[in-house]
Amino acid sequence: LRLIYTTTAMQSKNIGASGPEKYTEEFIEKQIQEFNLGKRHLANMMGEDPETFTQEDIDRAVAYLFPSGLFDKRARPMMKHPTEIFPEQRKIQWGEDGRPFHFLFYTGKQSYYSLMHETYEKLLNLQKYQDQLLAQDLLSQKEKRNLSGSRWLTKIELEEMLLEKLSDDDYSRFIQLLEKMMTLPCGDTEEKYIQKFSKEVAAQLKKVDIEPLKYDERGVAFSTGKGVRKTARATAVVYDKGTGKITVNGIDVLHYFPVLQDREQLLFPFQFLDRVGKHDMVCTVSGGGRSAQAGAIRLASAKALKSFVTEKEVEFLRQAGLLTPDPRVRERKKPGQEGARRKFTWKKR
Amino acid sequence: MAAPSAAGLSRRLRAWLPRLMQVRWSRYNPNYVEPEVNKELYQKPSEELSEEEKEKMDLRAVLPIKAAPPSLSSSVFSDPMVSKFTNMMMKHGNKVLARSLMSQTLEAIKRKQLEKYHKAPEEEKEKIECNPYVIFHQALKNCQPIIGLCSITRGGKTYQVPVPLKDNRKRFLAMKWLITECRENKNRRTLMPEKLSQELLQAFNNEGPIIKKKHTLHKMAEANRAYAHFRWW
Repeated sequence: LRLIYTTTAMQSKNIGASGPEKYTEEFIEKQIQEFNLGKRHLANMMGEDPETFTQEDIDRAVAYLFPSGLFDKRARPMMKHPTEIFPEQRKIQWGEDGRPFHFLFYTGKQSYYSLMHETYEKLLNLQKYQDQLLAQDLLSQKEKRNLSGSRWLTKIELEEMLLEKLSDDDYSRFIQLLEKMMTLPCGDTEEKYIQKFSKEVAAQLKKVDIEPLKYDERGVAFSTGKGVRKTARATAVVYDKGTGKITVNGIDVLHYFPVLQDREQLLFPFQFLDRVGKHDMVCTVSGGGRSAQAGAIRLASAKALKSFVTEKEVEFLRQAGLLTPDPRVRERKKPGQEGARRKFTWKKR
Repeated sequence: MAAPSAAGLSRRLRAWLPRLMQVRWSRYNPNYVEPEVNKELYQKPSEELSEEEKEKMDLRAVLPIKAAPPSLSSSVFSDPMVSKFTNMMMKHGNKVLARSLMSQTLEAIKRKQLEKYHKAPEEEKEKIECNPYVIFHQALKNCQPIIGLCSITRGGKTYQVPVPLKDNRKRFLAMKWLITECRENKNRRTLMPEKLSQELLQAFNNEGPIIKKKHTLHKMAEANRAYAHFRWW
């Protein structure tokens, strides 16, 4: 044993080396009790029933009692259930003698590697099953599973599930394994296993809301729509039983848009639905340039036409890109450069 | 409503390229898919759709779709090749001028072909092509090189190695040659539509300076055949 000369700096604990703060179970339980008690107090203060006090009521009460002008919503005072605030952490992975519980602890990513082992084992079983079927010539037709209705878990979701950091390579390898399993004929248990790692994706059409038609004094059906493109804002009113006349800001379309491309864009939704001479349109537009105004009116008219048309055609409109607002805006100029992308002329000296 | 993520300028794209600074980024989320404008595809009843098309439609029903750009339209008059060519001809963002030049070119082609048609005897009338779009497409196809040259440095010396070209690259080269040829080798008095229509008709008949340029490129590639093994892709 040798005497090692140390300084006071080396004797103090290195706080950063132990990783993020670990919360014990009793601490979390105490926090939950305090939260429930605080919820009842808050309900009493607001004069509402403590039993039926939901999270939304809590948020409203906190915003009322502690008004804050901070811009970032996450910096404002909030009161949430402790499981949402304190991230889920792994309990200590080794026993009193220091020996770890899991056999893959020393790999560093024990849950990831154990997951890969399990999945690969299932894959091998499936392959053996397929070989057996082939030997007996009972290979049934591959029923195509509906691939478009589901997606795999994202890397972040998988990390949350395993409580471990993953690299992109690890994640892609795992997904490749799952895809390979999908190609083989699966039994029931394997299907359930795969479903743990897939999520349903709702059809995009359900996010689009179609408003009912309105009727004006003459009994003609009409509907309105609003469109935005760059800095241009447009509102369009599309009337039924028309002759195809289009009026922009009180001026006829031929005078307002002398360029052919803009007029083509205005007629695009009507031409796509084969309703070129059947509707009248009156629009107001402001801001932006000539092409931006045309794009804004196109979006507004497509949104207005949604009410005149069947659901299937609304889906076609969406797939043609007529219902998405264009997010491209002018990129800002950066300091040290002449424009958004153009740098100053490089001079050697 | 599928609203694209209107993120601020400081937001990076999803982590499919970690640790690399994205320079060519887009305002759309990577999930977004290109729009499909072809009206006939949507009007076909579901029995006539093939397996692949049905799968594609199902997939697109779940993904968000990008907005259609202003140069794209479902009308019969919009042609993707013609719009690409117009964009390449455009200078300083003056799309109005480029588009008018393009329409004047197509008009000039039509006029010349009609003149030839009316002067020709009966048997040859059917062989003369009057549709300017057909002439444009055929001329561009005739100008496309099949093989290109790539400079590869080995041991200090730079060799010109023959390399197969991708479709996009072929189309780009054909259009680029056409435009540079028309800008540089014309008389000061002739206007662009006039010269362009002349070049297009010549290319349609497999003659003219651009076809010659294509042939010289092919001959160079044939001459440098010995270095073809330098290519590793």
